[in-house]
Amino acid sequence: MRYALIAILALLALLIIAPPLLGTGWQYALINALIAALFAAAFNLLVGQGGMLSFGHAAYFGVGAFTVIHLMQSVEYGDIPFPTVLLPLAGAAVSLLCGALAGFFATMRSGVYFALVTLALAELLHSLAPHWDEMFGGEAGLSSMRMPSLGFTFGSTLEVYYLTLSWVVICIGLLYAYTRTPFGRLTLALRDNEQRIRFMGFNAHGTKIVVFAISAMFSGVAGSLMAISNETANYSVFSTQVSALVVLHTFVGGSTIFFGPIVGACVLSLFTFVVSGVTHSWMLYQGIIFVLVMLFAPKGIGGVIQAHIEQRHALPWKRLAAPYALATLAGLMVACATVFVVQSLEIVLSREYAAAVARTGEYAPYTVFAREWQVFHPFTWLFPVLLLVPGLYLLRRAFARIQTLWDKDDDNDNGDIPAATQELMEGGR
Amino acid sequence: MEFLIVSTLNGVIYGMLLFMVSAGLTLIFGMMGVLNFAHASFYMLGAYFAYTLSGLFNFWVGLIVAPLLVAIIGMFIERYMLRRVHAHGHAHELLLTFGLVFIFEELIKLFYGDFPVNYQRPDYLNFAIFNLFGTDYPFYRVFIGLVALLMFIVLFVLLTRTRVGMVVRAAERLPDTARALGHNVPMVFLGVFGAGAALAGLSGAVAGAFFPTNPNMALELGVIVFVVVVVGGLGSLAGSLIASLLIGVFSSFAVGLDWSLASLFGLIGLGDWANSLGGLVTMPLSSISATVPFLLMLIVLLVRPAGLMGSKN
Repeated sequence: MRYALIAILALLALLIIAPPLLGTGWQYALINALIAALFAAAFNLLVGQGGMLSFGHAAYFGVGAFTVIHLMQSVEYGDIPFPTVLLPLAGAAVSLLCGALAGFFATMRSGVYFALVTLALAELLHSLAPHWDEMFGGEAGLSSMRMPSLGFTFGSTLEVYYLTLSWVVICIGLLYAYTRTPFGRLTLALRDNEQRIRFMGFNAHGTKIVVFAISAMFSGVAGSLMAISNETANYSVFSTQVSALVVLHTFVGGSTIFFGPIVGACVLSLFTFVVSGVTHSWMLYQGIIFVLVMLFAPKGIGGVIQAHIEQRHALPWKRLAAPYALATLAGLMVACATVFVVQSLEIVLSREYAAAVARTGEYAPYTVFAREWQVFHPFTWLFPVLLLVPGLYLLRRAFARIQTLWDKDDDNDNGDIPAATQELMEGGR
Repeated sequence: MEFLIVSTLNGVIYGMLLFMVSAGLTLIFGMMGVLNFAHASFYMLGAYFAYTLSGLFNFWVGLIVAPLLVAIIGMFIERYMLRRVHAHGHAHELLLTFGLVFIFEELIKLFYGDFPVNYQRPDYLNFAIFNLFGTDYPFYRVFIGLVALLMFIVLFVLLTRTRVGMVVRAAERLPDTARALGHNVPMVFLGVFGAGAALAGLSGAVAGAFFPTNPNMALELGVIVFVVVVVGGLGSLAGSLIASLLIGVFSSFAVGLDWSLASLFGLIGLGDWANSLGGLVTMPLSSISATVPFLLMLIVLLVRPAGLMGSKN
């Protein structure tokens, strides 16, 4: 616990000190990562702690964004004085109301049907928004200017960054504090066994509405910060893409742990920032990462880290070192092969390349990994195979070894494999 | 009169297309309780495979082989992915298929580019079947409807009148009993998933030749397909047929009508007051026609979650 606190304080210090030294591009990327982190943490209150999988959380994010844009416009035209610093409060309030209303209906159902109600609500807004000009500004959306307040001009990205950082830190702090309250415990109990909650005399439906509304409220803050940073919002904030992204962030990070979604959101949005500048296929890589996490680490990155921290005294680190190193190497080989194939296809199948071939009549070499490759040279296509096949083989071996080492030292939970079978498997290798 | 007939016809045929896509999903959802988010991606894959095959061979080869290819992909996903995460619960299966949507969309963009491809029906299918109020009605629209109808009949007979259907229904209702009777339940699941994927692939192959074949086609249909399955009822084939037709006809009529809530108020003499409110109240139905299916789904989910034809579960 003490280490965790130190780590968080160190990270916070870094987030305060580092940005002035970075360019505007990175500052903007950090703003987006922070907003994504808050959104994922708010979403996880509903999904990870309340056990209610929503596919339409973009609705409350978007409501927050549009509330703030409207308010900013009023401030800009001098109708109402409202400090820019406190704008997210308005987004929070309206999202809380919308969340309570939507939550009332959505929480009448559970499981897949709950997910579908949230999806339908968000789609309803998304299909309505472009036609409702006064409210959502039609297809173009609405925009406004940040007004100076409390001595800040909010003209530079850096000032917006610090505003975002403060709000995100406060909100994540509040969300964490929430998990420590009795009501937070009740939320967890709701996920584990709703029937029992009802049996103990609590109002399950009411509790669910409150959890939904609070989650919507913090999503609204995230949306507000997005609106402040972009100074604009259009109907696409309601799109399935936005709802999808928060699901991706949360589950890659790991929904069972409080900090999992925050880690997932930061890692993936910075990944997007870096990779989308290099290749068009960044969405493909993100999809592959998500599916791999779902398949091999169902509790996400956070779950893997937590398992290691919990078992740190029981694990035979010395014997694990070799298979871990092997797994890393093999993983890199497979990743290299995949990236090589995707990048090659992206170049060779592009319109520009086809046009160049038609113009010059020859298949020019292309560059991947800072080296030139001939399209029809056998080595070009042998190269990924040479990486992929041994890579996959080594990965399998390394993971089998890691699995046995983990299972052996885990006395409480011996996995699904009986000891005798385990001996047999090890003998065979 | 003209509006009524043309809208009904277009609505029914669009509904039949929706049914074609969602029939597979209904089957999978009913059997395994998995809402397969990637189902509309199977539809898109079908269209793209058929496009490639029709270029290499001819239209009919595409129509027959594309669904088979999609079925193979579907079975691969069931066997090596869904079965793997099954132990972690339905939410995980849902999320996995959700991730696959991105992968399929991006792969299609990688191979075929980010723009529509020119997938065309052959010339001999490209004629007007009859003349309706001075406009030629394309035969291919009717063809889509006929394929869907044929599919419904085959599926219905297969499921309710044959031994295969009996085993499938048994594996769905009481998997343990079916297993005890010596049926290979995982194999049945694999088959159903493959068949569901093939149906989506077939509809893609048929519809892609009429509607644009582009990387967004999965996204456009993705949510509507859920609407059909939910409104129709859990695992009910007849229900999803009714729901598809309902949504098809509703949306086809909504496009042509400029009714609004204000005109409704106008009937009881409050028209001026309603018009002064503006916003949602004066919005014509035609501009919010995309909203209609979601509204329908929401109402069904809240009033009768088992769907129109679903049995209470």
